[in-house]
Formats: sequence, structure tokens, C-alpha cells
Amino acid sequence: MSAYILPIIFIALFCYSKYKKVNTYDTFVRGAKKSIPLVVDIFPYIATIMIAVALLRASGITSLLADALSPIFNFLGVPTELIELVLLRPFTGSGSYALLNDVLVTYGADSYISRCACVILGCSETIFYVTTVYISQTKVRKLLYAIPIALVCATFGAVFACLLCRVM
Amino acid sequence: MNKIWFVMMVGSFCFLIWTDPSNILNSMIDASGEAFSLCIELCAVYAVWMGMLELVEVSGLGEKLAKLLHPIIKRLFKIDDIETEKMIALNMSANMLGLGNAATPMGINAMKRLDDGSGTATPAIIMLIVLNATSIQLLPSTVIGLRASAGSSSPADIILPTIIATACTCLLGICLVKLCNRLREKLKTNKKRKNK
Repeated sequence: MSAYILPIIFIALFCYSKYKKVNTYDTFVRGAKKSIPLVVDIFPYIATIMIAVALLRASGITSLLADALSPIFNFLGVPTELIELVLLRPFTGSGSYALLNDVLVTYGADSYISRCACVILGCSETIFYVTTVYISQTKVRKLLYAIPIALVCATFGAVFACLLCRVM
Repeated sequence: MNKIWFVMMVGSFCFLIWTDPSNILNSMIDASGEAFSLCIELCAVYAVWMGMLELVEVSGLGEKLAKLLHPIIKRLFKIDDIETEKMIALNMSANMLGLGNAATPMGINAMKRLDDGSGTATPAIIMLIVLNATSIQLLPSTVIGLRASAGSSSPADIILPTIIATACTCLLGICLVKLCNRLREKLKTNKKRKNK
């Protein structure tokens, strides 16, 4: 079912553009052209945040942190096996998907832990990456309470996800 | 962002000096290379989506979508500018479809228009960041794909809990941002009163 959504949207878009007498070819080219300057603009920001994340993982701080925080997360109902996933999720998209795959293979795709992991990933985002890229083209450097709120929501999401998986 | 990055870097350096000093440079360059290949991939994805986006804009669909979502956007962001609303509307729609990468160019454009040049995030910018960081996803397609390939008997049965969880985190985020925005305004007016 979900596979049909995008094609339908695209067909509707092209038909509507034709109806409005838009030159679809020229317009598409004009839009696609903007992608190169955009990527050039955001590359340094992506590289910078990815370097920091790589160092953080290589240093072993994340696994130390996972150990230190495990009593708190256990108290909230998050299984110990998933703490590193919850901690890494705000920083790296590809890294957390790799971790999810490990969990799926180790514990079986239909186990409670795997289902929790799936819902945790599905309801969260790579907060630091998104924030870095989104503000990269503005003058904003002071974010005030944006990141704390996002992190609180992500933690709540993880706890809530584990609770939901137990019920559903 | 400056503070966060500084803490992350210095913390990791201090640790790595004890554990693995020879690997510091290697892992940094590896990461930067990874970022480079990610950007090339992103360039391809953006070319497709920004082409589509141009069509959406030129054909006037963007404006229609913005008008449709106008009541929601106006309440959340307290802005009154059709161009910005259009970008935010497209950003939110792409996020809901699970197309995070398609949402990014529009999000960046919306940010540019919301920026007031003061260097501090305005309430609307914070709202947009939090909305994107807790984004409502109706179709967690990557997760379902991974689960299917790991041999799940019904890979799609996580959709419902995911939607419930994501809707709750999103609502929580909106409420917290609204609350903090209100506190911030109060602090400002208090300060002004004191100065008088």
C-alpha cells in the first residue's frame, strides 16, 4: 500500500503542472540545479559534526556513559541492551541503523527488545545532525532551549516506546 | 552549538590520549570522508527533490498547501508570511511521509527566512528545530525494511506503536517550546520593567 503513495503524488503533481501550463522539464532542471550549491554549503557542517561523533565513539565515552546511565534507564523501563542505541540516536543516523540491525540479528526480529528498538528509532530523529544542517545557512549560534527540549522529548519517546511495546 | 562541539571534541581527545592516541587523526579523516560520500549521496537525493519542489512551487501547489495548513502553522509559529509558511508546510508534509532528506532543503529555506540576524534563535526557529527533531513519521520505511530482512513474521506491526509514540513526543515538544517561549517573554518584560 505505502509503495503507491509516492507515485500517486508524482502523477498528480505532473498532471496539475500541465494543467497550469508549467514547462515541467525547464522547471525541474532549474530546481535540480540548486542542489549542488546547497550541498557545497552544508558539507563543512556535516563533516564537522561527523568528526566529533566519530571521536566520541572511538574514545569509548558512549559505552562508559551507557554503563553509568543504565540504572536510570532500567528504572524507566528501557532494557540495558538498548541504552547505547538511545544515546547514539541523536548523533548519527547511519550508526544507529547499524546498531538496530545488530539488535535485530542478535535477539531475533520479533523479540520484545527488537520491537522496542524499532519503535525508538521510528519515533526519534538525529537531533544534532538536523540542528546543525538546519541552522547552517543562518546567523543563529545561540539555540537557547531548543536542544534540551529535543533531548527530553527523545528520552521520553524511548521510555514511552518500551512501555507501548509491552502493552501492544 | 559552539559549546556543544567544544565539549564533545575536548572530552574525546582527553579520553583518546589514554586509550588510543595513534588513531585520533585516522578516525577524524575517516569521518570527514564519510561526510563527503554522504554529501554526494545527498546531492543526488536533493537534485530529485528540489526539482520536484520547483514544480510544486511554480504550479502554485505550494501556496495551496500553505493555505491548507495555515491555521496550524499560524498557531505554532506566530508568523504571517506566505512564503515562509509555504516552506514550513512543505517541510512538515515531507517529514510526515518519512522523507527526511526531502524535507531538509525546505527546512533550510524556511530557517533563512525566519532568521532575524541577531545570532540568537527566535521562538519560531526553536519551534521548527524541535518539530524536525521530534518529527511525526507516518511511515518508518527504513525500519520496516530492516526488520523484514532480519526475518520478521510481520514487519509492519510496529507502525501503530511508532505513530502513537511519535505523536506523543511531537506534542510534548510543542508544549515545552510554547511554555519556554512564554517564560522567555515574561523574563524580557520583567527586565524592561526593572530598567525603567
